[in-house]
Amino acid sequence: MESVCILGAGSTKYGKLDESIIEIALTASVDAIESAGISPEDIKAGYISNVFGVADKQVHMAPVIMSNLGLSHVPGLTIESACGSGSVMFREAFANIRAGFYDCVLALGVEKVTHTGTNQSTTLFSYCSDFFYEGGNGASFPGLFASIARAYMTKYKADEEDLANVAVKNHENGLLNPKAHVRKRITVEDVLNSPVVASPLKLYDCCPFSDGASAVILCNEKFAKKSGKPYIKVIGSGRGGSPAAVQGRKDISTIPGTVIAADQAYKMAGISPHDVNFAEVHDCFTIAEIIDVEDLGFFQKGKAASEIRDGATSRKGRIPINPSGGLKSKGHPIGATGIGQIVEVFEQFTGQAGERTIKNAEIALTHNFGATGASAAVHIFKKVN
Amino acid sequence: MKNVTSIGVREKFISSAQNSKILARKCKDCNTIMLATILYCEKCHGKKFNLIEYPGKGYVDTFTIHTVPPEGFEDVESYAWVVFTVDDVLLRASGFLPGIKKPSDLPIGSEVEVNGFDKKHGLVLKKI
Repeated sequence: MESVCILGAGSTKYGKLDESIIEIALTASVDAIESAGISPEDIKAGYISNVFGVADKQVHMAPVIMSNLGLSHVPGLTIESACGSGSVMFREAFANIRAGFYDCVLALGVEKVTHTGTNQSTTLFSYCSDFFYEGGNGASFPGLFASIARAYMTKYKADEEDLANVAVKNHENGLLNPKAHVRKRITVEDVLNSPVVASPLKLYDCCPFSDGASAVILCNEKFAKKSGKPYIKVIGSGRGGSPAAVQGRKDISTIPGTVIAADQAYKMAGISPHDVNFAEVHDCFTIAEIIDVEDLGFFQKGKAASEIRDGATSRKGRIPINPSGGLKSKGHPIGATGIGQIVEVFEQFTGQAGERTIKNAEIALTHNFGATGASAAVHIFKKVN
Repeated sequence: MKNVTSIGVREKFISSAQNSKILARKCKDCNTIMLATILYCEKCHGKKFNLIEYPGKGYVDTFTIHTVPPEGFEDVESYAWVVFTVDDVLLRASGFLPGIKKPSDLPIGSEVEVNGFDKKHGLVLKKI
């Protein structure tokens, strides 16, 4: 088995972008290629994640992007796994390097939805649910997570202020990220006074719809060392699944796919949750981050709300969560999000994170899932000194 | 209908819902009960089942009330999307419950009943 490394990373700003989906994709790809210091001909395969290309009149995304990079002979693969597309796609790129099929590949996530407007975006996102039972019965994605929030809050006696604390912390982090979609300091009162979207979730409990693209260059360690450029290592990878419909879960206050994926990733890396120095987790809604950090083993079930309130997940806390600002502030271009998390880890470990830098960090974890957690992926990274 | 087939299962589930029932499968090997739309036994992966119609009554596990509804639900003044447990069975289902305006209208544990299947709004519930 080959050791897998990240040699370069690039990202567009997240937010409302005017360029076409292909232009966005190419911008991030070129940034990653230049960051890695490689030639385009070094890329032996292209892995592309995207969900709603059809909204920008483009599907069959991978060969179109590879062709526009001038690499039409390089095989491309498009992967869709709702909001988890980026990490699920990264896993396939990781597996192909690890198995020795390729020595260097491009992994690119891209999304463009803001031109569709809130109502159409909400509708498109609802197609990621188990539509017969959820979207078709009137559940939007905020609605699905709101029902999860109510179940969690009922079981563990958490309240809306506990949810708000997540949003406040992630917006604080996002202020330091020049590529974040929503760079705005907010207070608990701002969250609690924002309009209800789906009770108990309010506007500031929800991540924004974003456009954007993020890309990384994966390679084996021999290739990375030969390049002479800084790189980081992927030391753990896990994938898990959950019942696609919330009704199918024995416990609605946990996401089984996260637990499965994390267990696999920790075992592969040979570490425990206590060894992780910071994490980028899937905070599409504030309740998601609370559940994530418990399912990932950072806190006991039912304890995350109080830990977050006490600052354990802040940048200087015991386990900083989402130093990039997370989906909540950095933004959520769904096909790109999982790769964007890895871009943050690369920047943190290669001295490019500026004021966001988590001091003395050596091990980082990324966690990303599709829909309400039906498809989940966890990856663990190690700084190379 | 064969024990393991997806053909026509949803139509049968809808037909049961129109009669205020929930259609489920009970595994002949391990007695696990699942919604009829799931093909293999989730517990033992068995292939042999008895189809059972349960009375569509249950209690609310969780719910939400949408202020921003998805497409197709804009015409409903106010509704809840509800996850409920079917009475006397370890089985959950979910549906659309019109007329719920605020969370206090539907405390957790409230009793609900299947009230049909609407082409536009899916499985319809009513509070009892």
